[in-house]
Amino acid sequence: MFELGEFLIRGALLGVTYGLLAFPVSLLFVTTGSVDVALGAYAVLAAAVMYMTGGTAGALFGVGAAVLASAVVGLISMRLNRPGAVDHVIAVLGTFGLATFLESFILTLFGTNPMVRQPFSTFWDVAGIRISPQVGINITVCVAILVTLLAVLQRTPFGRAMRASAANPLGATLSGIHVRLIWFSTYVLGGLLAGVAGVLILFTTGTDYSAAFTLTIWGFGSAIMFGLGSPLRGFAGGLVIGIVQALSSGYLPGAWATAMPLIFIFVVLSIGRTNLIASTGGRV
Amino acid sequence: MRNLMSSRYLPPLGTAAIILIITPFILNSPFWLDNSVMVAIFALMALSAGMAYGQAGILSIAPAAFASIGAFATGIVTTRYGLSPLIGLVLALLLPMVLAYPMARAISRLSPMPLSIATLLLSLVLELAIREGGGFTGGYIGLSGIPTLWFAPTIHAMHVLSWLSVVAVLVLYVNVTDSALGRAVKTARHDPLRATADGVNVPAILASYFSLSAAVAGLAGWLYAHQLTYMGPDSLTMHVSIKVLLMAVIGGASTFLGPIVGAAFLTLITLYLPAAETQGMIFGAVLILVLLVAPNGLLGTNWKRMFAGGAGRARTRAASEPVPKPHEELA
Repeated sequence: MFELGEFLIRGALLGVTYGLLAFPVSLLFVTTGSVDVALGAYAVLAAAVMYMTGGTAGALFGVGAAVLASAVVGLISMRLNRPGAVDHVIAVLGTFGLATFLESFILTLFGTNPMVRQPFSTFWDVAGIRISPQVGINITVCVAILVTLLAVLQRTPFGRAMRASAANPLGATLSGIHVRLIWFSTYVLGGLLAGVAGVLILFTTGTDYSAAFTLTIWGFGSAIMFGLGSPLRGFAGGLVIGIVQALSSGYLPGAWATAMPLIFIFVVLSIGRTNLIASTGGRV
Repeated sequence: MRNLMSSRYLPPLGTAAIILIITPFILNSPFWLDNSVMVAIFALMALSAGMAYGQAGILSIAPAAFASIGAFATGIVTTRYGLSPLIGLVLALLLPMVLAYPMARAISRLSPMPLSIATLLLSLVLELAIREGGGFTGGYIGLSGIPTLWFAPTIHAMHVLSWLSVVAVLVLYVNVTDSALGRAVKTARHDPLRATADGVNVPAILASYFSLSAAVAGLAGWLYAHQLTYMGPDSLTMHVSIKVLLMAVIGGASTFLGPIVGAAFLTLITLYLPAAETQGMIFGAVLILVLLVAPNGLLGTNWKRMFAGGAGRARTRAASEPVPKPHEELA
């Protein structure tokens, strides 16, 4: 029983960073109807820059690099989804292109070595479970971002403009909202959040150049768990994915432990009533 | 001649003609023959991606995974059980279909973005299954000693067989696209509600088409395994799927010849690129460039119209519009 409790707690703590990656997936889908496949690549880029530079400046440079990369994707997506020619699949393909570019860029510049930093040598003892103080930082940062994000979305003119652009782009444009600027800002905000997640992942589990698509899947899986429509539900989805990962690692042999979270996301996608084509309740 | 030019068989006939022209020039070069076979194999995978994305609207990140199933199926039956590669061919065609159909039935009701992630998940799970398959799949070591085909033992014969396969798939592709099934798939892709109202079982028809595209990838895997005589866990990974998707998109996923042109372009420029690490940067940049300049791919873009100025565009539009007859004007 203690063992199960430990897995649940460790999983939830691991899922906090996935929840952070789920924010931009939900935000972008709600605002633009598209998905940025390069999110994981921004996180790995931020982690790699932080790993090479170190210190507070390294964190700033890392997050800055992620923001810069997301701004490039935002500009590309704006160009691909110009008025009268909105095709979200083409925009997704564009983000695939940048994800491939960034993965190769990170491999060329930083090599294949795993990147990890362990800033703490002492651990907390919580009910007999050894927990790194880094986890406390992760939770604090994620909750702070979640609260700020919800406040921005619900209480500020920018948040209202963002929600209006998502609900009715044409109506928002007629109301004087610069919808394309809102879309671009959402891409950049996604890069910022993914960059922060990348820096936290560097200090928690570490990463390497090839983790970009995997991190995108964890972020996406978290976001779709309870429906793509809400960042808060995305955060809860992150906790679920983390718990599934921890339980799989604890109770399943070798490859099953790695495959089970992927299969779990696939099953949720397949049988869930969310994420269907809205107008037809699915393709039918 | 006019009938031939307007015939639906122009793409396969054109491909066959180009290969017939090129073959004498590369006949004495094993290096170029080998590359020609690889272009044909990747062209088949790209055609599979083109069928799924260009026709059915399913952005599949799994063509290499289906090819991998075909390759391992033939590799296992020929090396482990000493069976004929022709039995391997049957399995390479059937197994991807059998896996793809229920999978597509489960996920084809999703909107396009979750759908592509679902195919990515399948790709990753298959990679894991191959790695952890132990003695059956060869595990981390892979399967070596896969026999060459007894009816295509030389690189020359393999060159002929692989391009014949491409032409045969093209014939099948143009016929299916021009059939009731192809038209239903297009309607289901662009307007699922309309297709349902027309009596089309949308999930079933999209799943059938997706499984057909998976069989094409399986055929590519069969050729791949018997050409390289080795299959490892890193042979046909998710990154190959992404590369194949780039081939289809760069060439023009919704056209018949676009995926073949994309496969030839990317396979051949790889020969002249520097270190393997930097290839992703080139591929990613090329994809973004193509999407920005010609989102429908090299062969799917109306270049004449694109390069025409404002007046030119107006002229092109006016020329393409039918002139109304007097009684139509009155009506």
